[in-house]
Amino acid sequence: MKLCFADLHVHTALSPCADDEMTPPRIVERALAEGLAMIAVCDHNTTGNAAAVQMAAERATVEAAVERADAKAAAGRTAATGTPSGDGLTVIAGMEVTSVEECHVVGLFPDAAAAAAAGAEVTGLLPAAGEGYAEFFGEQHLLAADGTRCGAEPAALATATPLDVGAVVALVHRHGGLAVAAHVDRRSFGVVGQLGVFPAEAGFDAVEVSRHVTAGSPKLAEHAAFGLPLLRSSDSHTLDTLGSARTALRVAAPTFAELALALRGAEGRSVAVA
Amino acid sequence: MTLDDIARELELVELVPPNEVERAAEVTRGYASDLLSDVLAHAPAGGVLVTLQVHLNVIAVAGHADLAAVIFAGGRRPDDEVVAKAVDEGLALYGCEADTFEIAGRLYALGVKGSRA
Repeated sequence: MKLCFADLHVHTALSPCADDEMTPPRIVERALAEGLAMIAVCDHNTTGNAAAVQMAAERATVEAAVERADAKAAAGRTAATGTPSGDGLTVIAGMEVTSVEECHVVGLFPDAAAAAAAGAEVTGLLPAAGEGYAEFFGEQHLLAADGTRCGAEPAALATATPLDVGAVVALVHRHGGLAVAAHVDRRSFGVVGQLGVFPAEAGFDAVEVSRHVTAGSPKLAEHAAFGLPLLRSSDSHTLDTLGSARTALRVAAPTFAELALALRGAEGRSVAVA
Repeated sequence: MTLDDIARELELVELVPPNEVERAAEVTRGYASDLLSDVLAHAPAGGVLVTLQVHLNVIAVAGHADLAAVIFAGGRRPDDEVVAKAVDEGLALYGCEADTFEIAGRLYALGVKGSRA
């Protein structure tokens, strides 16, 4: 088992409220600079940019490997310093779904295809963005792996779905995903703020705390009382906050399957608020 | 005003009838909110809650806040599980087509005031 760090709640420029600088290459660059082994792309009610960020991460890994090989060949002796380690970045395809009670639920999916299927189902429930929408809520940029804009999402992503919390969790599970109660410490859009008490019957796999709850904070015990593993994520909408809250993973490798095992505390794996 | 008076005056749909204690009680306070944590913190005991939330937690929160009844506004209706829980808890439930603003205004006109009025 090895220790690595994850930020499992990051938005791209597809989320209307996120900054335009949240493009696949810049998110990957920032995550690597922050020393993260894993991030999860979780836009509001869509998975439209998740595969592009995954592709950008793969490209960055290949480019780093080529750079290292070149440097090694050029130097002809010791390995060059200053290049990133070859571990790369794992990008989990996720989505932050808004329930009918206006609770935010993060779904983390095993691969891009499962995420896309779940995303299509959720986005399909939303009304069209319509005239003047972007002016009030922001642009919804669909991006390619290199950051090029390839279109705008036509659905109103800032709208709540008609699904209640339990139905959102069930949808995530139906697509093989893990369901996380997003930023439970926050007054707005957290399940506790919206529903008064934690909905134990909904079947969440984990609980997320925001960057405002630090390791060692007495608040943590309160959230741990829900009896689920705790994640700490940045929910970043801008590059400068990416990685500002993180989860320590003790896993064999930074993969979705290992994350799922770590949430269950299987065979020496674990997650912890970092 | 008792719950029966209010239900009759506002033509509310009775989903779960009040129990005998509630039926005899005067309702003088009300609260309107869809944030259940806010309801928990601020709704007046013995009062009525107007909300759009039909989640199961409404019943738990209403019980905790010692409310007399919940009125679901805007034509929203809770599912059977929520209704059954309200029956267990002895909490009266009503539905109405009017939106929150409208129903709160009509309650106020009947003499039901806010928690701080």
